Amino acid sequence: MIGPSRVAELDIPAAGVETGVARPAQSYWNESWERLRENRLGVAAGVLLVVLALIAVMAPILSAVLTHFQPQTIDLDSTFARPGVGGHILGADELGRDTLTRLIWGARVSLGVAFLTVAMSLTVGTAVGMVAGYYGGWIDDVLMRFVDMVLAIPAIFLFILMSILIRPNAITLAAIVASVGWGSVARLVRGEVLSVKQRDFILATRSIGAKDSRLMLRHLLPNVLPVLIVAASLGVGQIILVEAALDFLGLGIQPPTPSWGNMLTNAQSYFFRSGWLVALPGITIFLTVLASNLFGNAVRDAFDPRLKSH
Amino acid sequence: MSRDEDAEGFQQFERFLEEWSRRDFLRRAGGAAAYLTFLAGGVEFLEACAGGGGTQSATPKKGGHVVEGNFSDIRTLNSMLSSDTASNQVIGLMFDGLLNYKKNGDLIPQLAQDLPKISSDGLTYTFKLRSGLKWSDGQNVTSDDVKFTYALAYDPQYKAVSSPRRGDLSKYIQSIDTPDPQTVVITTTQVYAPFLASHGLYGILPKHVLGSLDAKAINTADFNTAPTVSNGAFKFVRWDKGQQVTLARNDSYWAGAPYLDQWIYKVLPDSVAVTNQLKTGEIDIGPVDPGQFDNLKTTDSVVMGEFAVPTFTFYAYNLNPDTNAGKLFTDKAVRQALLFALDRQKIVSAVFFGHGSVANSVEPPTSWAYKDKPKVLYNFDKSKAEQLLDGAGWSKGADGIRAKGALKLKFTMITNAGNKQRESMLQIMQQSWKDIGVEATPSLIQFPQLVSQIVSIRTFDMFLVGFNWSADPDEAPLYHSRNAGPGGFNGADFKNDQVDQILDQALGTVDKNKRKNLYGQFQDIMSDEVPSPVILFNSGIYGVNKRVQGTDFGSFNQFAQRPWNHSVWVTDGK
Amino acid sequence: MLAKYVARRFLASTVVVLGVTAITLALMKTTSGSYVPGIDLNPALRPEDIARLRAQLGLDEPPQVWYATWLWNALHGDFGHSMIDGSTVTSHILDRLPNTIELTATAIVIGVVLAIPLGVIGALRRGSKTDHSLTVVSVAGFAVPQFWMGLMLILIFSVTLEQHGLPWLPSSGAFSAYNGGDVFDRLEHLILPATVLSFFYTSTWSRFIRSSMLEVLSQDYIRTARAKGMSERRVVYLHGLRNALIPLITLIGLELPGLVSGGLVVEVVFGWPGIGKLAFERALQYDYTTVMGVTFFATLLVVAGNLLADLLYGVLDPRIRYG
Repeated sequence: MIGPSRVAELDIPAAGVETGVARPAQSYWNESWERLRENRLGVAAGVLLVVLALIAVMAPILSAVLTHFQPQTIDLDSTFARPGVGGHILGADELGRDTLTRLIWGARVSLGVAFLTVAMSLTVGTAVGMVAGYYGGWIDDVLMRFVDMVLAIPAIFLFILMSILIRPNAITLAAIVASVGWGSVARLVRGEVLSVKQRDFILATRSIGAKDSRLMLRHLLPNVLPVLIVAASLGVGQIILVEAALDFLGLGIQPPTPSWGNMLTNAQSYFFRSGWLVALPGITIFLTVLASNLFGNAVRDAFDPRLKSH
Repeated sequence: MSRDEDAEGFQQFERFLEEWSRRDFLRRAGGAAAYLTFLAGGVEFLEACAGGGGTQSATPKKGGHVVEGNFSDIRTLNSMLSSDTASNQVIGLMFDGLLNYKKNGDLIPQLAQDLPKISSDGLTYTFKLRSGLKWSDGQNVTSDDVKFTYALAYDPQYKAVSSPRRGDLSKYIQSIDTPDPQTVVITTTQVYAPFLASHGLYGILPKHVLGSLDAKAINTADFNTAPTVSNGAFKFVRWDKGQQVTLARNDSYWAGAPYLDQWIYKVLPDSVAVTNQLKTGEIDIGPVDPGQFDNLKTTDSVVMGEFAVPTFTFYAYNLNPDTNAGKLFTDKAVRQALLFALDRQKIVSAVFFGHGSVANSVEPPTSWAYKDKPKVLYNFDKSKAEQLLDGAGWSKGADGIRAKGALKLKFTMITNAGNKQRESMLQIMQQSWKDIGVEATPSLIQFPQLVSQIVSIRTFDMFLVGFNWSADPDEAPLYHSRNAGPGGFNGADFKNDQVDQILDQALGTVDKNKRKNLYGQFQDIMSDEVPSPVILFNSGIYGVNKRVQGTDFGSFNQFAQRPWNHSVWVTDGK
Repeated sequence: MLAKYVARRFLASTVVVLGVTAITLALMKTTSGSYVPGIDLNPALRPEDIARLRAQLGLDEPPQVWYATWLWNALHGDFGHSMIDGSTVTSHILDRLPNTIELTATAIVIGVVLAIPLGVIGALRRGSKTDHSLTVVSVAGFAVPQFWMGLMLILIFSVTLEQHGLPWLPSSGAFSAYNGGDVFDRLEHLILPATVLSFFYTSTWSRFIRSSMLEVLSQDYIRTARAKGMSERRVVYLHGLRNALIPLITLIGLELPGLVSGGLVVEVVFGWPGIGKLAFERALQYDYTTVMGVTFFATLLVVAGNLLADLLYGVLDPRIRYG
């Protein structure tokens, strides 16, 4: 579960969008959107994600107004405070830091890393995949061999060495995870482009002398988009888990910056002393990943063109 | 490397596991309570006796096994190639040295019959081996074996042997003579006081097995992973890489065959796993993390022993004036003020749960040279810290950070990621110093990078690590200016002529009283200079299953040096 | 045609193997900060020792020279000795590989056995409450951090059960330390780690089977079969499931390259002496030779896996032609 390389292997549709026009028909988007809205579970999960994202964004305000603690402020007089004691709503950790405040700030890191990683992987992967698929020939060969290499290096080596090369904070950690994850996106996109570019409308557009860049952005990209949307929505939850696993292995976000993963890892030693320190970040991760997976599934069901005949 | 592993390894301890009897235990699960009550008699007594085990009224039984758990994997079983505590620990079970340590660090003879005779000029050590020493294959252990073992690390013929001991041994050993099979005469190039304590304990290797190999072949010999003969309490059975090493009784052991059939060293993922498996009885002996002490104390089947160890945790200022940090830290007032601003008692109680003691000196209290009240003591005193900084011209700027001219009191502190206690300490330091207007930012790096920073790159501002000393009070590796060069551990670049002089003088004197006096002066100077303040002296804690008797852990008897390991036995004979 | 294709693929694969090993070495060299493997903060070490050990390990050589030597030896089947413990890299890999295969294969079997019914039921009752709850369950299994699940299982099934005098499960290693190693003993040790790892497979594959079943069931030949009056049961199992399983087999094949890092977290949590744990520990210690050996081995697996998958596609689907 360590490599996001599996993101694309999940069960993302590989076939192109068989619309036969320059880009998916407006009706396709509308229908997909309708299908998504009908999936109550998916919508609920989506709402939860939005709420969590809002909490993350408002962390400074929340910690000032709600918890009255700062995430990194140590108070050695209230170590292992139980929930409710000393103003700590959800208790305090081994250095007397407020758990709720750290969970709220941890949301910034954990969600931030997840969204950023997905964005980076998709951007780089799409760019490389489109260029390789569109131009073909030696460009394709060179780029795809490089992708093969990235995907072939055991992910754990890349994680370790990259985390030493660029010290992990929320942004660089996203880059580190994305450095492993973009390869599979590139493969996916390239495959899509290969199948789409043979279609009549592309050939026609090309024959009237449209610029390559315009062709890629205006005509190819929209056709690849459904696949990307599905990959993105399924990716977020997995990246949260990857990030937590990296924290566990000591390669992720370094203390004192709180992330859900390092809070969880940190608390294991105190399971018998303060069970809630283990339970809280665990539950938070679980709910968040559950929500993003449910939402991702709903998105896939809604946008997967192969399934729309049902 | 497991997460808690720390190569310098003060946290390494030991304990056993009983796996086979686990199922047996299940069968009599109902009777578990009765069984424990039955044992309880011996237990109170054991608890009183730090280190567990010790004397026991019951008669030892032959048979059974012990599983010792640890979170450090071992690397080699060749005593002259190994440099890590975990390997030395397993080697110590199979190979005896000429000498060994008592609990308090005093030397006792092991393969040697007595402590060596030292010539009046302090240059020659004459060892007599015990008579009738045998390798486990029946061959005699002779002075040739001793000479061969040391030759691997000092004789130019074996220069290609990757021994981490060559630096010292080739410098200090002039020659080794073997006038007869029982006698070894080691002549040194100069008087070197720690010679015996540092170099008299290496496990002796069999010349009749390894002698025919050339230097390169010794580095990769099968013997290093599967020694065919041994001269210690146990002999090698099997090494399941990444999981465990299995040893069996050596019936021809000179001190009498051990009671146990098997001693198993098992590698666990981390200190939490060690605690869990002490609880379940999957391991019988294991090192206990301070944070887990209370958790295990309530487990009836485990006896805990705690003792002082020659290990301290310290932070070091980069004193190289060419670096940015050096410009801050060459000011003695800054060094002293920062230490005054640390409530180290609180660190010991919060981070180490009280298992450890605040350090006043750079010598650990386990040393005979320890001075408990050197010249300057640093009890927590925030206002004194602020006075010192004010007095030295470091005044608070608009941003609340102290500065002197263009120099801001602002720096980064590094330690190795994955060591919880050190991570916590850096965070406490950050906050304590913020309170007096100093901005210190913690930064965690991987262990290899930390070592590189200390021994070669040295672009750090401040680092925090632990150091594990031998029984000799010499601390030149950390504080002598000759070790400030590349590769040396004096990465802080501390250079003090007086200290150099005292350390050299103490190394060149065998008179213990003179040395004690010199190290007293050394501790006074260090308490005033505080180039790298010691935060605390760590504690060693071992958990031992009640069924295991005869262990006797102590300050200098926890890893490789355990003169008692042949007398360990198990009450249930399993 | 096929021969030419294989030759081309072989060439491409060679490039990949060379590139991967070179990148790995370059990354290690860049990040090592001139660290000498095996060096600890041991007061007995002298500066000369560190310098000498560095030279003896060949770390003074320029990286390209080191790489060339390594490659030459590797091509002759000699992967050298570990820089940490002196054992041959080959023996390290061969020692751990059976353990990893044992764990992964068990988890895959459990995963497939659970995933198929979950996926089929979900597909057949698409949109129903059953489908939704199956979705939640399988997605939930995938939402728990593996290391956390592992620790919880240890606390419950090892520590707590043992403390209450109940039958319990061992918490680490592949077999019992003392007199262990028989089949029953190994199975007992396998239960917890395989459970955690199989959660991943079950969740992933049940979703996969569900969607692939849905796709198959919408195909013309299924409609034809239905139209011909074939029983629903036959339609589903004979045509539907069979066709839906083909891509699953490919997916399982794709697990092959994941052998090194796929079970890493589980191996670490349960002290399972597998190849992932080896790779993790040795990379952190800068054991150049072992890391290079594992990289080489892992890359071969990936390359072989890809090739095999492509060739299999060709066999399974005659429409694919190699050119």
